[in-house]
Parts: sequence; structure tokens; C-alpha cells
Amino acid sequence: MGENRLALTAHLMRRAGFGATREELETLAEREYAELVEDLVNPERFPPVDEDVLERYYGWLEGVQGKVWSGVWIYRMVNSQRPLEEKMALFWHHVFATGVSKSDHPPSSIQQIKMLRRLGLQDLRTILLELSRDPAMIFWLDNNENHAADPNENYGRELLELFSMGVGNYSETDIKMAARAFTGWTFEQPLGLYPCGFYPSRFTYREDDHDESEKTFLGESGKFDGADIIDIIVRQPATARFIARHLYNFFVADEAQVPAWGTVPPRDPEAIDTLVKAYMDTDGDMRSVMRTLLNSDFFKESQFQRVKSPVELVVGTLKLVDTNRFPDTNVMSYPTATMVMGQQLLNPPTVEGWHTGKEWIDGGTLNERVNFAVNLVADTSKPGVQAIMDRLEKDGGSLTPSEFVERCLDLTGPIEASEETRAALLRFAESGGDLDMTSSENGESTRERIVRMLQLIVASREYQFA
Amino acid sequence: MARPYAMLRAGFPYVKTVGMRRLTVNFPVDVAIGRNDALYILCRNEEGVMVRMLSQEDEDLGFFSSLGTGDGQLRWPVAIVSDGEGNFFISDEACHRISKFNAEGEFLGKWGEFGSEAGQLNAPAGMAFDSDENMYVADGLNHRVQKFAKDGEFLGQWGGFGTGNGEFNMPWGVAVDEFDDVYVADWRNDRVQKFDANGEFIFKFGSTGSSDGEFNRPAGLTLDSDGDIYVADSGNDRVQLFNQEGSFVQKFVGDATLSRSARAYMLSNPMFLRLRDMASIDMQKYFRRPRSVRVDDKGRMYVPDYGSFRVQIYQKDVERLEESQIAAPLKAPSLLTA
Amino acid sequence: MKERSQEPVLVVLQLSGGNDFMNTLIPYTSGDYYDARPTVAIPQEDVLPINDTLGFHPSAGPLKELYERNKMAIVQGIGYPNSNRSHFRAMDIWHTCEPHEVGTEGWVAKAVRELDPRSENVLTCVSLGKGLPRAVVSSGVPVTSVDNLEAYGVMTGIAEEERLEALEIFKHMYTPAVGAQAAMDYLGNTGLDVLKGTDMLKKAPAEYKSDVEYANNGIAKSLRDVARIHLADLGTRIFYTQHGGYDTHSRELLLHEQLMTELSGAVMDFYTDLEEHAAGDNVAILVFTEFGRRIRDNGSGTDHGSGGGAFIIGPRVKGGLYAEYPSVVPANWLNGEDLRHTIDFRGIYGTMLEQWMGVEAAPIVGGTFEQVHPFA
Repeated sequence: MGENRLALTAHLMRRAGFGATREELETLAEREYAELVEDLVNPERFPPVDEDVLERYYGWLEGVQGKVWSGVWIYRMVNSQRPLEEKMALFWHHVFATGVSKSDHPPSSIQQIKMLRRLGLQDLRTILLELSRDPAMIFWLDNNENHAADPNENYGRELLELFSMGVGNYSETDIKMAARAFTGWTFEQPLGLYPCGFYPSRFTYREDDHDESEKTFLGESGKFDGADIIDIIVRQPATARFIARHLYNFFVADEAQVPAWGTVPPRDPEAIDTLVKAYMDTDGDMRSVMRTLLNSDFFKESQFQRVKSPVELVVGTLKLVDTNRFPDTNVMSYPTATMVMGQQLLNPPTVEGWHTGKEWIDGGTLNERVNFAVNLVADTSKPGVQAIMDRLEKDGGSLTPSEFVERCLDLTGPIEASEETRAALLRFAESGGDLDMTSSENGESTRERIVRMLQLIVASREYQFA
Repeated sequence: MARPYAMLRAGFPYVKTVGMRRLTVNFPVDVAIGRNDALYILCRNEEGVMVRMLSQEDEDLGFFSSLGTGDGQLRWPVAIVSDGEGNFFISDEACHRISKFNAEGEFLGKWGEFGSEAGQLNAPAGMAFDSDENMYVADGLNHRVQKFAKDGEFLGQWGGFGTGNGEFNMPWGVAVDEFDDVYVADWRNDRVQKFDANGEFIFKFGSTGSSDGEFNRPAGLTLDSDGDIYVADSGNDRVQLFNQEGSFVQKFVGDATLSRSARAYMLSNPMFLRLRDMASIDMQKYFRRPRSVRVDDKGRMYVPDYGSFRVQIYQKDVERLEESQIAAPLKAPSLLTA
Repeated sequence: MKERSQEPVLVVLQLSGGNDFMNTLIPYTSGDYYDARPTVAIPQEDVLPINDTLGFHPSAGPLKELYERNKMAIVQGIGYPNSNRSHFRAMDIWHTCEPHEVGTEGWVAKAVRELDPRSENVLTCVSLGKGLPRAVVSSGVPVTSVDNLEAYGVMTGIAEEERLEALEIFKHMYTPAVGAQAAMDYLGNTGLDVLKGTDMLKKAPAEYKSDVEYANNGIAKSLRDVARIHLADLGTRIFYTQHGGYDTHSRELLLHEQLMTELSGAVMDFYTDLEEHAAGDNVAILVFTEFGRRIRDNGSGTDHGSGGGAFIIGPRVKGGLYAEYPSVVPANWLNGEDLRHTIDFRGIYGTMLEQWMGVEAAPIVGGTFEQVHPFA
């Protein structure tokens, strides 16, 4: 099995999922790449995460606070046999950024993520329609205040600007018309948190509060309802382009941030064209678009071109050390970990979503990222760390400093390290001479050196990239 | 008290609700009845753990324990039971141990160690005492039942992973009757199994589903002195009552009204009153994911209403019959009912 | 010895969860107060009076002392129109000064950009505690987040003697290389900044000596860390600290007593500590909370409300009462249940920014708001 093939499989699993253990990678790499992609874009082929076990240990997940649910979401990311399903939910959560902070109503936010998970690979029309009926979104962008007699444009505006077409592709009048079409799309008042805990909210359509009048939207006229507006939106090439850019930024390589898209051209215009074509050919079927994306050369050639999001860093490291395979009490610390790195699940800072790429990194968050990974790989009881030790031991004999560096970079990724990083790691390797894997006498110190090497690797700049 | 020959079941009316979110009760998983009929309500979620003490009149009598793994703390508590001396035992499926507290909530001790050897525990769930105050424990992830002396000394075990008679899949609730027969809620197998004191299989009832007598993840279970069997059918959001043969009698889905504390709370909050007035209150009466059910010696049934932060209380109403009061059993059903 | 920097320093102390201002500075002669709070009122005889109508919580003795020493300005009735009752959203509003839109830039971060426009000192702003509050976050503004001063820095999980070697290698790995892509370079510089901050901060605990014994609780620990960093004279201009647990829906009397004890003790110890080192003259503390609590109690505690209070404390503060105490007469309650604020919080930020830090307030707080004048 070629190195490249393993590296490519690792790349695919990092991007279309959250990483994989070395053993999983080696098994996967024996199969055709296109077959792996088919498995990823058809998550129904695999069983879902066992909900009963989650409920038994973490409680009734419809009723818990956001942080608890986020912890369980991270558990799902680690364990799901449908990694792309979970990754799409996270992708749409980035795009349709809805913050629980405004409502303080976690069951609605939870319901929204579940909807994104369920529909993430469907066609964009279905997704936008359900999004427009989603109580968390309706409240977040004030569509409950959007009345026939007194329209509120917030949802209409963001639907066009941030969820589908992007600025510059529609007029202020189009926004007003879209807003009017969504009048009457609201939710039923749920029972309050006190005294018996949260109750779910539910979409409702108030015909008596809907603006029935004739509307002209993007050049088409009719007595449009919200669904008609979505029908028109999803046919627009601008929408295909906007979604393509989002997909590229999330799955392929770091792009400029959304507000700049009106002026900054795509990093790879041809790649965007390819994705746009896939979208237009299939009426916005996300499964087809993702198949195209993952099978493309531009995707295969984009290794380590994205700064990992905090969630990717945390879950990827958990996969590396191969832990959290059954519910335990640690999982609740992970939402805190991603939060201090700048990503609080269920609570993106604004409707623009998290700024990605190098904007994830500042002194504080870099410190948190490095320490999180360094502390996790220090635990030799973790099966993934153990497995790396076992493999090095199985190599037998002794490793020269440079072999020691290369083997560890390989087993933790494979990671493509710069000359500078390799040289720095080599300094450490050389300070201890050859790594003697034969003598049990030196076992303890050999293990310590391996752990230290792993710590240095996950502390590296390269490890911050996916 | 001997079991009655038969019963005229007059009804099982709802009595009242005690507790409310935040002020007193937070995700109640189990309840035990202590001195002066005080409720010791075990609360568990990832952000807080405690035992809240409430009077039957919903007065807050304080709380004890907290989230953690130290002595006297609880991480993933499952069940609370009391012994004849009025002490309380709480199982913890994260710490693999049983902790003991007195009626005031002072920590008295703990026992249990992690493992799969005889006497070791892996995620202990339900507990019950027999007539000699030996304790049966559902050893969840070892898929077995173990018997211990009150101080934790190992006395015996049975079970193992599987679906056959006497096998378990993540058992949860345990109950013991006056003959020292043992009942186990076999959580993932959606059934209840009955054994004698030595672990010999006697019978089982229930299967997966949501019809009467079927289960969706039965959690806690308990028995009353008439031999009736109460099962918290968690995934179906209900409690089911079975007779001593395991035949379905009736089900409870919840009838909650506002507790005394909840009423006072709502009355002091104009905004919450308005929002409540805008909502339908129908769904508020139902149980949400009850994980336990308990009865006291006065025929009261207590359902810790896990998802709704309260305990709902019911009163059993039966006439106990001598053999002479009721016709002999029939061999077949009959339409001659008039 | 080098002279200490005399540039003004601001310590922000955030009371998270919504402090019950009515039970902090109590209208102890008002029958309406006692009528509204059958369960969680402070008995008249326990209040520590400062005048004929107001008095401190019985556990806030040290605050009363600072007030009597004329070193504490009490801003009564602080808030903003249509006060938001969600903790997160309300805190966001305080952090970004954006009550309508969802804001992205923190007010402290914007001030830091003015104070250190070229980001020359990674320690210009130091936030104590886990994670960064939005108040100090803005793209391109470096802020150092210190959860534990003794263990600040990268790879602190590694034992001390071996950590030096690891840090050396870290430094090599993060040194920007010629021709590397921009993101890699940026990461490299950020990593080196972290190392620089670590190096500088190491001084703080090493040099610190004090006779003041802080209590063992979160806010005391944070303020002690502030004192240690401030005394090391590393150029920090704004410190951000948080004291949590003010969300007293239940058992408020018990909880609030503990909070008041911790808060007033920690503030007093910090004040004394700086005084002892003759290093307090350029320091002012601003204590705030995201909202006050409901006027009526709920039988055990109080629920989210509005109309909180703020304190400005420091040697150069002109103590006294500022703005007006919100009326507790039921006819004046906001929506029949809340205190009406009497001054906008953005004016208080403005007070601190312009009159203390010497930074123009309007661009930071989004407009011009009435200020108070608590500096002598």
C-alpha cells in the first residue's frame, strides 16, 4: 500500500469526517478511493449512533442544556459510522449560524441540528424549506415578528445574503418581497422552562398573518409564499456559486471570509465552476455535489490547506488517541475545550457564523489548542497512544533519530512537516541518540521519549492544519 | 402481611405533584421514602447531582451530596434505597460503587471496585435489600446480578450477556419480594425477569414495543406488599402495573398539576404567567422518561418524573379479598358478563 | 530601581449571572422592598447603613469600609433600554455595546487597539479565567488569557525540567521560514508571541511578595493574579476578571451571602495589597453585572430582571452615590416587575475610558452617553 494512498485516505477522512485511527485508515486504504467516497455520501448504508445508550448515560437529550448536548454531539462525531452525515450537520451549522444565546431555548437549537443532520445531503430546496420552518431560526432572525401588516426583513435579508445567494445578486426590493412572502411563518408558543423543564417549539403557519398580495422577486411575479421564494432562489446560479464557495472553504481550502466574497475572487475559480456545474446539473442535490467535490483532483491536492476548526482539532485528537468509544464522564469537558478555542457549539457568535482559517488562531486559542493535544497524547493508557508504541516496538531493533522522527510523523497523520519542523524534531530525537526498542531495561525511558515526540508533533504548526 | 388472595381494584387516582425545576428538583432519577414520609429525591444530570429532601407537603428540607468523585459525592448515581435503620444507599455507575448516607445526609462510607471478577462492579444500577438486608445489585455492564452483604461482602452472582432466560443486556432495576424472589428490569432486552434467591429463573414478561405490557427500555421497578409489580417503562414515557403473575393491569402516563412551590413561583412571575397563558398546557401533565417508580407502605406510588423535574404521587385504592369472596378462576374468557 | 509605570490601569470585574443589586445596596427603610420580598429580604437590623435609606448587605462590610473611606463610587440603577433577560445575550450586549444588532467586537478589545495600536505588548490586556469573554475579543487584537498564572503557557503539562527543552523545540518549530504560506507565518508569529508572554509572565509570581493573605476562592485568586501581574510592571493596561454564581434563582439568602463575602473580601484584599506596595494610585476597578434581578422574590430566590448597579473603586476615586437609585414604589416598576435603570451602562464605560484611560469613548461604545464624574 503506497504512502500516498494512505495519506490520501487520511485526508479524506479528516475532511469528510473527523479523522480515523491508524488501523481504520489502513483498512480503508485497501479499498478504491471512489468506493470510500460512495460510502461517505451514502450514510444510510451504516447504522446510526446508538441513541438508547446515550440516553441511559447522558440523560434525556431533548431536555438537557446546550453544553451537555454539545458534549454528546462531540461523542457522535467521534463514534458515528456515518462521518459525513455528522460533518454536513456541522457544515450547515457554520452556514446557517444560529446562536442559542438569544433564545436560551436549547431544545429548539438541538432540533435544528438534528434537522441539519437528517437533511444535510438532500437537495438545497428541501434544506432551505425546513430551515425556514425551523423555530430556532425563526426566532433567531425575528420571523416570528414578521407580520402581514408590519413586515420584519431580517430573515428575508439573511436568507439571501448569508444562506443562499450572497450580496450583490439581488436588490433591496427583492429582500422586501422575500420578507413579505415569509409573513405568517412562525411557531407555537412552547410552555416555559419553569416549572417543569423545556418543551419543544413547533412551526406553525398563520394564514391570517400572511401577506397574500402579488410580489415580484428576482424578476418573477406571483402571489408568492415562502416556498415559492425558495424555489426561485435555488435555481439561481448565484446560489450555486455561493454554496460552492462555502463548501470549498469548509471542505477544501481556507477562503476569504464571507463578507469579502463580493470583492475577493475564489482561490480556485475552476474548482468553484466544477462545483457549480454539479449543483446546476442535479438541481442542488448536495449528495451529488459532495460526490463531485470529494472525487475531484482539487480536493485530493488540498491536503493541509485548512486550519482545523476547534471542533476538528478536538475530535481529531480524540480519534488519534482512540478514546471515548463508549459514554463516559469525560465527554462533557470537550465542549468547554472547543469553547476556549473559540468555537462554542450551538452558539456561533453572529449570523455570519464563525470566522475560519487563520482567524481561529490567536495567542489564547493557540495556547489552548496546543495544550489540549499535548496533554491528551501524554496519556499512555489511551489505546491510540498505546497502538503507536506497539507499532514502533514491532518495528524492532533501534531507530535512528531521523527514522524516529519520520515514523512518528507518519503514525500521527501522516503529517507533512516543513523542513524547519523536521529539523526541530530531529534536534529532540538526536538529544537522546538512537531509539532502542529492543532492551526492556530502557522501556520506560523509550516510552517517555516517544510520548515527548508525539507531544512535540501535536504542538507543531502543521498539526493545526487539516 | 400476607398477600391477598385477590383484589377488587377500585382505582389508582393521582394525588399530587411535588418539586419543581431549579428551586428543588433537577432531573430526578429515583426517590426513596424516609422518616416522616420525607422524599429523598436523587437528582442527576451532567451539570449537577444531589439528593433533595422534600416533605409530602412539598416543603424544601434541604439537600446533600454534589457532583464529583470524592467521598460523599456522586457522579452518575442511578438508584437510592433505604435500609431498616433509615440509612440510604446510592449506586454510582461512573464510580462503580455504592455510597452510604444517614438520614441527615452525612456520608457514612462506600464500597465497590471496578472490574468483572466476582464481587467487582462495572456500572452498578438498581439495588434492593432482601429480608436479611443482603443487597442485590444490577451490575449493568457486566450484565449480571450480584448479591452482597450490607457491608459489601460478595455473596453470589448470576447472569451474563445474552437474551436467553437468566441472561441480561445492561440490566437496570432490581426488586425483591417478601419471599426473597428477585425481579430484574432487563433494560436492553425489554423485559422483566423473576428469579428465586439463588438466581434460578422463574418467569419473565414483556417484549419490545409500546402496546400494553410491552416495553421500550424498562428502567426502575418496584413491588408492593400485594405482589403487584411496577415498572418505569422509560422509553414509552409511562409506568406500567402488572400483577404478581406478570399480567398487565394498567398504565400511568402522568396527571401532573402544579406543585405548591411551582404555583408560588409562577405567581411571582408576570412574564412567565403570560407565556404560559399563550401556550397549550396539555402536554405538561405527562411523564417524560420516568426512570424509576417507588411505593410506600400506605399504597402511595411515587414517580420521579425525570424529564419534568418533579415527583408525581398516586394512591392505590383496592379491596383485598379472601378466597371466599371471589368466584373460582375460570378456564376461559366469557361473554356472559352481565 | 526603575520607576513604576504610572499609566492608568483598569481592572474590570464582571459579576456573572446577574447580581441582585437590591440585596447588595438595600433600600432598608422601604416598605415596598419588604412587601415585594417576603422570603429574600435582608432584615432591617442586619443591613449596614450608609445613609437613611440605603445600606450594604451584611456580608459586604469591606465594601462599606471602602465607601466610607471615600474610595468607592456607587453607580445606582445602571442598565439600558429594553433590558434583555437572557444571560448570554445580555452579557453580549454589555460586552459589545450593541443592544440591537449582534455585535462582533468587544469594547475592551477596541480600547486595547487604541492603547496599543501596533500590538507591541502581548500583555496590554490580560484576561483571568478560562476562555475569553467577548468584551476582550476583536480580530487582530492580542489578548493574553491566563487561567492559572503558575501554569501559564504552552505545554505546561510537561514537567518543569523537561519543559525547557520542549519549549526550545517549540520555538524552532514556530520560527517563520522564508517562503512559507501566509497562514503558516501567522501561526508562527502567534506561537512566538505566546512564548514571549510566557516568559514575561514568569516574572510575576517569582517577584511577588505580600503580607496580604487572599481567601481561597475564584475571585480572590483572580485578583491576586492581577496584583502579581500589575506589580511585575509588565505594561498591562486592562485586566478582565469574572466572579460567577450570581444567578440566584433559589436559596438566594444563603448563596448571596457567600458571594458578597467573597467579592468584598477579595476587592478589599486587592486594594490593600496594592496600597501596601504603593502601586495602587494608577488603578481603578469597575465592578458590573449583566442585569439586576426581579423586584419580587419567587419564594426561594429571584429571577432575571433589570436595573443593576456598578461600583468604581480606587485610590483616586471620589467616593459617593452616583446616578439615582431606581424607585421601588410599585407604581414605578417597569412592566410591573422590574427596576427602571437611571443611567446607561455605555455612559459608565465612557466614564472609565475617557476620564480614566484617556481614550475617546464614542467610537468604542457607539455614541455619546451621559457620564458620571467619580475621579478627583
